[in-house]
Amino acid sequence: MDATPSLIHTFFNPDILAKTAPIVLASAGQTVLLGFLIIVCGIGLGILLASLRYYTRRRTVTALIVGYVDVLRALPPLVLLIVVYFALPYVNVSIDATLATFLCLSAILSAFIEECVWSGIAALAQGQMEAARSTGMTWSAAMRHVVLPQALKIALPQITNRCIATIKNTALGSVIGFNEVLGSAQAASSDFANPTPLTLSALVYIAMILPFVLFSRYLEHRTGSH
Amino acid sequence: MQKRIILEAVGIRKDYGALQVLKGVDFRVREGELVSIIGPSGSGKSSMLRCCNLLERPTAGQIVFDGIDITREGVNINHVRQNIGMVFQQFNLYPHLTVLGNVTLALRCVKKLSRAEASEIGMAALAQVDMAGKRDAYPNQLSGGQKQRVGIARAVALHPQIILFDEPTSALDPELVSSVLGVMRKLREAGMTMLVVTHEMGFAKEVSDRVIFMDGGVVAANDTPERIFAAQDNERMQSFLSRFLNEK
Ligand SMILES: Nc1ncnc2c1ncn2[C@@H]1O[C@H](COP(=O)(O)OP(=O)(O)O)[C@@H](O)[C@H]1O
Ligand SMILES: [Mg+2]
Repeated sequence: MDATPSLIHTFFNPDILAKTAPIVLASAGQTVLLGFLIIVCGIGLGILLASLRYYTRRRTVTALIVGYVDVLRALPPLVLLIVVYFALPYVNVSIDATLATFLCLSAILSAFIEECVWSGIAALAQGQMEAARSTGMTWSAAMRHVVLPQALKIALPQITNRCIATIKNTALGSVIGFNEVLGSAQAASSDFANPTPLTLSALVYIAMILPFVLFSRYLEHRTGSH
Repeated sequence: MQKRIILEAVGIRKDYGALQVLKGVDFRVREGELVSIIGPSGSGKSSMLRCCNLLERPTAGQIVFDGIDITREGVNINHVRQNIGMVFQQFNLYPHLTVLGNVTLALRCVKKLSRAEASEIGMAALAQVDMAGKRDAYPNQLSGGQKQRVGIARAVALHPQIILFDEPTSALDPELVSSVLGVMRKLREAGMTMLVVTHEMGFAKEVSDRVIFMDGGVVAANDTPERIFAAQDNERMQSFLSRFLNEK
């Protein structure tokens, strides 16, 4: 009978919530901001790379892009993060934890996005590009108005998944000292010997990821009718 | 007096690697003419047509459009292509845009017209192909014949000086062919210059000013339809034509 009150007392303790919420929410703010920047840059760079791979006739350029994509997709994000953060100082490049997290996760996201968008482009008939070019559109106008809208629509579910995974991966930043939400919640939990801050961080993750899912559902629905 | 030459192919050669597809093709299309290109499949008709707007770069030779050699370095091909429409066998409509969106895209992002101006021109082009009523439909809601008429409207909307057609009815069910050919006849009556690769021999015979018979990457005959279809002098052409004419 009194399982419920004690459950709430343990996992959502109001006193502890009041004490730890400011710390957790402050780092939540940082996480949201960083996550947003990573997603914008990762998607932007990924689309650029896929477009370049489609445009280029040079084998070396294609090989460089494919190499970049394959390596970054194969590496565990944590490994890349640690290497960048701890190895770069040895070659006299100092880098702070936030920047390291941003660079690594953006690069990894861009690799996955490149692959999704590239397969979307490859799924389109070559005729789409030719039809657009035959009306006098430049290559980039044809990409922007004809090829990419269709390729992105095909890739949208995968892109959404990668973005969600990226938001969760920001937690890895705590390993190198980036003050992100899960790390600070964990610290607060052990300080107070109570999991309430972790519950709060779960809510923060849901709040970050849910809008994403809903937005992509909306996009899929809006473009799904044709 | 002879009409002005709109499009001229001069010694066009096209190789794909070791494969020589076009081996020196010459022809002229004059203003207001409808010129048909016929010939067996694999004879290089599509390659020739695609060289005319440089979707394929000829390996050698010149394409002279409206007095300008467009195969020269430094020609703004995007500018030239606004004046050379193209209609594709597989329609190649943009599936993510409405019928009107398909027809107005180039008007808006190449000619930089406002939405209202582009819509007005686009609707006029759609009316020419009897598709104005479907302006808000998406391509996948149309029959093949309707799709191809929209494809024609997309080319017409730019008011090009010539339209290239690559087997515009070959992907259509037989009962839908006539609506597309009807639109093309109307265009011709309106004075549009047209270069048409086709297997519709009846159409080529009735509507063409000249017929080019291509075979093995060269122009095997280039003459009036009457003389081409009389086909006295060329065995290959005779056997090609008899195959088609007997089907009907
Ligand atoms: N992009 C290409 N790459 C290699 N070979 C091609 C290409 N396009 C056409 N060909 C070849 O060129 C020949 C002529 O093709 P095409 O111009 O399509 O003829 P047609 O339209 O008369 O059927 C064919 O043998 C075809 O396989
Ligand atoms: Mg062909």
